[in-house]
Amino acid sequence: MRSLLSIFKKIRFKKADIPKVSPPDRMSFKERYDCFQQLLADNNSILETQADMEEKLSGDYIFDMHYVDSRCDILVEKVQSLIENLNSLSNGEYLGLYDAFERINSGIKDALIKNIEIPVTDFTIPFEDVTKDMVRSVGGKNANLGEIKNRVNLPVPDGFCISSHAFKKFMDYNKLGDKIDISSVDTDSLVDLTSASKAAQNLVLNAGVPPDLEKSILDAAFELKRKAGHRAGGFYVSVRSSAIHEDTQFTFAGQYKTALNVAPEDVVSAYVEIIASLFTSRAIFYCKSKGFHVEDMVMAVGVVEMIDAKASGVVYSRDPTDEGKRGIIINGVWGLGKYVVDGIVKPHSYVVSRDIPMPILEKNQPVQPFMLICGLEGGAIDVRVPDYIRRMPCLTDEQVTTLAGYALVLEKHYGKPQDIEWALDLNDNLLILQARPLRIVAEKPSMPVPRSLPGHKILINKGQIACKGVGAGKVHFVTNDEELKSFPEGAVLVARHTSPRFVTAMNKAGAVITDVGSPIGHMASIAREYGVPTILNTEIAMKTLKAGQEITVDAINGNIYEGRIEQLIEAGKRDNTFKDTAVFEVLRGVLRSIVPLNLIYPEDEKFSPQYCETFHDITRFAHEMAMNEMFKLGKGAHRRKGGAVKLVVKLPLDIRVIDLGGGVENGSDKKITVDNIACIPMKALLKGMMAIEWPGPPPVNVKGLLSVIASTAMQPNSEKSLSESSFAVVSREYMNFSIRLGYHLQTLEAYAGERINDNYIRFLFKGGGASHDRRARRTRLIKEILEKIDFHVDRTGDVLDGRVTKYDRTSIEKKLGVMAKLTAFTKQLDMTLFNDAVVDWYIKEFIKKHYVE
Amino acid sequence: MAKIKNLKGLMVPITDYPHMPYWATLEEAVVLLNFSYETAHDTILVFDESYKLMGVLDQKEILRDIHPGFSKLSPEKVSDKWEKLISTHNLDQLKKPIKDFITPFNIIIDVEDPVLKAAHLMLKHDIDLLPVKESEKLAGVVKMHDIFHEIAAFILKS
Repeated sequence: MRSLLSIFKKIRFKKADIPKVSPPDRMSFKERYDCFQQLLADNNSILETQADMEEKLSGDYIFDMHYVDSRCDILVEKVQSLIENLNSLSNGEYLGLYDAFERINSGIKDALIKNIEIPVTDFTIPFEDVTKDMVRSVGGKNANLGEIKNRVNLPVPDGFCISSHAFKKFMDYNKLGDKIDISSVDTDSLVDLTSASKAAQNLVLNAGVPPDLEKSILDAAFELKRKAGHRAGGFYVSVRSSAIHEDTQFTFAGQYKTALNVAPEDVVSAYVEIIASLFTSRAIFYCKSKGFHVEDMVMAVGVVEMIDAKASGVVYSRDPTDEGKRGIIINGVWGLGKYVVDGIVKPHSYVVSRDIPMPILEKNQPVQPFMLICGLEGGAIDVRVPDYIRRMPCLTDEQVTTLAGYALVLEKHYGKPQDIEWALDLNDNLLILQARPLRIVAEKPSMPVPRSLPGHKILINKGQIACKGVGAGKVHFVTNDEELKSFPEGAVLVARHTSPRFVTAMNKAGAVITDVGSPIGHMASIAREYGVPTILNTEIAMKTLKAGQEITVDAINGNIYEGRIEQLIEAGKRDNTFKDTAVFEVLRGVLRSIVPLNLIYPEDEKFSPQYCETFHDITRFAHEMAMNEMFKLGKGAHRRKGGAVKLVVKLPLDIRVIDLGGGVENGSDKKITVDNIACIPMKALLKGMMAIEWPGPPPVNVKGLLSVIASTAMQPNSEKSLSESSFAVVSREYMNFSIRLGYHLQTLEAYAGERINDNYIRFLFKGGGASHDRRARRTRLIKEILEKIDFHVDRTGDVLDGRVTKYDRTSIEKKLGVMAKLTAFTKQLDMTLFNDAVVDWYIKEFIKKHYVE
Repeated sequence: MAKIKNLKGLMVPITDYPHMPYWATLEEAVVLLNFSYETAHDTILVFDESYKLMGVLDQKEILRDIHPGFSKLSPEKVSDKWEKLISTHNLDQLKKPIKDFITPFNIIIDVEDPVLKAAHLMLKHDIDLLPVKESEKLAGVVKMHDIFHEIAAFILKS
């Protein structure tokens, strides 16, 4: 088989451009910021698209292959763009992501097309030899009939399959893969598509059947006739397609030809007609637009003895409108079953108990005026029901019970409710024509989860649902990594905000609740992957819930109840038959290369491109690194000449502002005031800074030993650092502010926009003038205060790196206000921090004075 | 004849001594001294923002500043209740920066100088704490408490 991958590459896959490399120093702040903005937008599209696809996995939605395919297209495009933007931003620092991308994308493509290997088999395979594992050789329908015949041991019509290998032989023998040329087809032109379809079908119809294939088919057909020989009447078969890629790319239900009432000697020509019907204009459109080759379409065919049905109908092993009822439902009509399916006549109907000895609970036998029967020259004809049977039931009680028994056997074999077609032949043999999973009406829980449950106390009724379902357990708060390690089996994880680190508890958690978070964030995705019912953004869970308290989380309606409510838990259990379809399997397959997050800890050495295994990994990595690159931006600010405007403000800081666009309004080139600042995070910060009392000027009357400098001041150029300017690089949403204050370096970066996924604050704090132990005490103080406002903080000695992500704009502004006060509060505070007790006092003092929850 | 030691072994390194910037408040000074109680350090060194030594703040000075009129009361007016010392007005005092209450240092001693020289300077200037420099930088302080201990040891030995 020609490599699908290589075709894909040519058509679908634009090799990424070499990143626009320009040295960081020459690339302007503005250019870099633009890359960053695009990257944020890519990041969001990717996470949104991914969330949407995962949502489909819940089984609550019906979707088709086009859906899966188009979402993958979006992801491929956005992930490439994301990688390009990161490399532009970082001067090509992360070229390894291109390899990761290619690796992952080829996995997605394999999953999308399922890259089916066609097994080498005989051209024809009798039903006796077929089981459901043989889909690739005989197609879905044939495989299922074989399974029922050979493994379930129920009667089915006799027949054989013409294999997918036979199809390949036919195509190769006639070189049809090359002859059917769709390269010049314009997919926008219906005329083009129609004529290409016609041309392809003509090529097939005029092609020769390889002699060995022809012989094989005829032998099998006559063997079938021989075996049926003792039965009455002429012998006919039906010839129909049995798709390999069922429900996926190339199956467009109902478009393929089916030949009924075919005589054995005509089976070969019927086969060719059915093959020709594969090349519909829709199939050609698909091949062309997706870069497949026509040879990649594969079809097997089933040849089945025609049953001249006396009566036929369907059995549902459960009531499709109410799964909870214990009855088996049987419908039947005289003649062919189409009239049952189409609802043309009122069928006879029976309800049979599922309990031994399976009594018939209800019977309904209306008079049937018309029936459909096989015509003598093929096809089906509508006739009057003969008088002698018109008022008779089409099934005896015994036959009804037999059919009900078959239904239970099939349900047991397949492990789920079944929708079965049956026929009664002229010799009163009951035959199974088809069995498939029963689709329960409305695709929702059979017992809907009530919107609210009277008599039970709702503790919280707000938030956003990130993963649907119902879960229960005891509340376990997680505020740090340690509490994750000891996470108890079955508990409900309750946290202030979401974190990908929670992955370690996902296989234990009964549900997840956070005060803050986005349903399209990393953690939400992990929750969906593990199927853990999750409600985010409740705002009040940490306050409202108590550790160890038993709760039930209804992440369908968005309610959190006190206590364990079995009724809800039971109602939340869902079984969706759609989950068994092939298209669902394809979605699951591609998501394996998209969703699982392996890069959890940025501090881990495996947090690198070579360990990216999914698009999610790439996305998280790129977003983290992009933030790092932006963070570095402030460092270069003081080296730049021009562009920086002095901010006139009553603060003991010399602040210079560089605007990337939208950060400053109506200011002059030389000087601006606080009123000119339009940058959201900068405004919030300055507001906080001006609200706190800064250290006053030194006393004038103290002379003292001013010439003696304490040797503890660590920096040799300490005098200089006291007088350096602070630079702020700003846009409307973004701020990167390097603050020189005393002897420490402090960089405060923030993004505060309307999408919470973009928003973050990062804070780096380093150094000081006092001895090392006092400087380290100061970073401990800062760490503890930052953790109060939800930061994740890494601290080593006097170096502190904290960040908080994914809060809404108002929360980010509030946090910046606290940080502004913290900035003033900690100015040279290291000097005072004599021991840990003093540190503790200052922490309490700050919280008391400046931290409002 | 035993040679008198220099101050190296006797000095409290600056890093081990409580200190503060001049803009710290009286309340912070109280906190600092309270939490350094077990070190037996009973004063605070005060620096400016470039770590130049400005002076010292001791316990008596802090008390005087919390309640400026307290020392001038006639003995019978001194209450037996804490609240008389710490009234609302005094709480406001606590918020004042220490810069106005520090006692400047006028002299400094070198770490290579003998202990006896330190004793001499302390008696002469009536102080209990003396800054010590090393290579023209402030390295620490010596306390009368420690110097007396050295002298006592010598007296008792002879």
